[in-house]
Amino acid sequence: MLKMTHLSKVYRTEVVETYALRDFNINVNEGEFVAVTGPSGSGKTTFLTIAGLLETFTGGQYHLDGVEVSNLNDNERSRIRNEKIGFIFQAFNLIPDLNVFDNVEVPLRYRGMKAAERKERIMNSLERVGLASRAKHYPAELSGGQQQRVAIARALAGSPRLLLADEPTGNLDTQMARGVMELLEEIHREGATIVMVTHDPELAARAQRNVHIIDGQVVDLAEDPRFHHAVHAARANSPA
Amino acid sequence: MQIKPILSALRRHKAGTFLIAMQIALTLAIVCNALFIIHQRVAHLSEPTGIDEANIFIVKNEWVGAPDSARVDAMMRADLQTLRQVPGVQDATPSNSYPLRGSGWDDGVKLKPDQLQDSSGSTIYFADEHFIDTLGLKLIAGRNFRADEIGHMDMRYKLAPPVVIITRALADKLFPGGQAVGKTIYLIGGPATVVGVVDLLQAQSVERWASDFAYRSVIIPERLTLSLGSFYIVRARPGQLDAAMRAAGKALFAQNPRRVIADDDGLLSFSEVRSRAYESDRGMAILMGVISIVLLAVTAAGIVGLTSFWVGQRRRQIGVRRALGATRQDILHYFMTENLLISCAGVLVGTVLAIAMNLWMVTRFEMHRLSLSYLVTGVVILLLLGQGAVLAPALRASRVPPVEATRSV
Repeated sequence: MLKMTHLSKVYRTEVVETYALRDFNINVNEGEFVAVTGPSGSGKTTFLTIAGLLETFTGGQYHLDGVEVSNLNDNERSRIRNEKIGFIFQAFNLIPDLNVFDNVEVPLRYRGMKAAERKERIMNSLERVGLASRAKHYPAELSGGQQQRVAIARALAGSPRLLLADEPTGNLDTQMARGVMELLEEIHREGATIVMVTHDPELAARAQRNVHIIDGQVVDLAEDPRFHHAVHAARANSPA
Repeated sequence: MQIKPILSALRRHKAGTFLIAMQIALTLAIVCNALFIIHQRVAHLSEPTGIDEANIFIVKNEWVGAPDSARVDAMMRADLQTLRQVPGVQDATPSNSYPLRGSGWDDGVKLKPDQLQDSSGSTIYFADEHFIDTLGLKLIAGRNFRADEIGHMDMRYKLAPPVVIITRALADKLFPGGQAVGKTIYLIGGPATVVGVVDLLQAQSVERWASDFAYRSVIIPERLTLSLGSFYIVRARPGQLDAAMRAAGKALFAQNPRRVIADDDGLLSFSEVRSRAYESDRGMAILMGVISIVLLAVTAAGIVGLTSFWVGQRRRQIGVRRALGATRQDILHYFMTENLLISCAGVLVGTVLAIAMNLWMVTRFEMHRLSLSYLVTGVVILLLLGQGAVLAPALRASRVPPVEATRSV
């Protein structure tokens, strides 16, 4: 589903070159739930933005759903983002001027979908996250957890091949975070491919697989003993 | 189309939306009426006088002392004799006034002696047999005055010449569909027989009060011998206007120095006469033009400012839209459509305001009713202005990268 080979991302200024990702390799299979972990500044978010075609990369190869994306133009990248990728952001990123229904509708409108189909998909997505009754509410009228559920509904409405989640519970309290995480697990059980960036070992422990990044490279989790132990401890305490 | 979510978003930004829409409405109302006034003034500026303007100049002659009518007539005839001999001068004629002068003698014309209401207003031009040739008028019926028909009168005499020449506009008014030559008309002093009709001769005033008889003139075969002085209308040969003007002044003083020809308006080419006559019209047209341009510029600046502010404010939102699949064109269209919707609301209100403003001016300033074409032109200008003004910030918005969605605030 997602395969990066020897991928690099370099930020250049007049005086310095900074490698955000260096010789980066990752392979995520269809139906997997992968947690990408690592300390702050390790390159997790850069990986996610490249994976989501939000940014270009400097070198290497990236195949998404069998398509090599490095040569795609801006419009083609937009179309792939719209049709194949669902985003869940740490800050929810709902549009404050639009109500819940209209927020979920945003990606569907860019797909040129007919109104009747849009409405059906929106209501199905909102029912799935338990917020169908809040369709006419504005984001400011919802709790953080509800807002993130709306964001998940928005990501699901387009039936994407890949869900990318960037610290999806980072702005939520424990109870709300648990609810969101359970929702993601449920979505995964239904067959979705999920790549979640997190620095939380407890969340990482609930994914099928951990990919750990340090200094822009994928490393063995054992190279970060503190995080390694935290993940193991979380798995041990997990009810499953 | 994105209209529903755009309207929904605009409802959350009522103040900015309302202010810009109102600015557009006011601009439309003022610009439509200003364009209408400009067009009317410009049309007014280009009304023909019917005379050979390129080669005509006016001498305003003032006598020293208070000579009587007979003496004035003698001096005027001597002056005219002199002027006609000046090198470069084709002909010269005396008159009490001339087109575009702004003041003169206007009088009613009747068809019957006992008529209470005038059949028409008219401008009275006192002239001699050289008047038609000097002004370059076209005689379309009848004949010119004979030299023996020319008399002289001052203000104490009744206006009752035996014969007159009238303009076609007056002939059409008095004798619609018929022949004017040979007919009798009644001036304030008595009957006069029409012996000729000239094609076109504008009245002395271009003000609105004289518009009813703008081209209805009566030419009287009399030299108006006022002790104060009179006008000589002089026609130069083509290309010799300046030289003839300079020579004319010198020749008149050489012939009789007991006169005043003022430095500022004693000798005026007809182009100066035209320029002075339409000074206020031209000034009004320029003022209206400047007001329109300033208003349009302020409105455009307002749209640029508000859209730039909204683009800055919604940078992250734009990034989110891009992340969710919006192309650059989608973002560009979003802001263009948003502006179009605001502009449409503005021009809708503006159209009502423009009509109301015009109706008010019609009742207060005797203006004409605003033509629909001005409203349509104004609406098109404002809509294009809006789209033009929003283009730069909208393009800036379209360049916001999708990765903006992941940046923390």
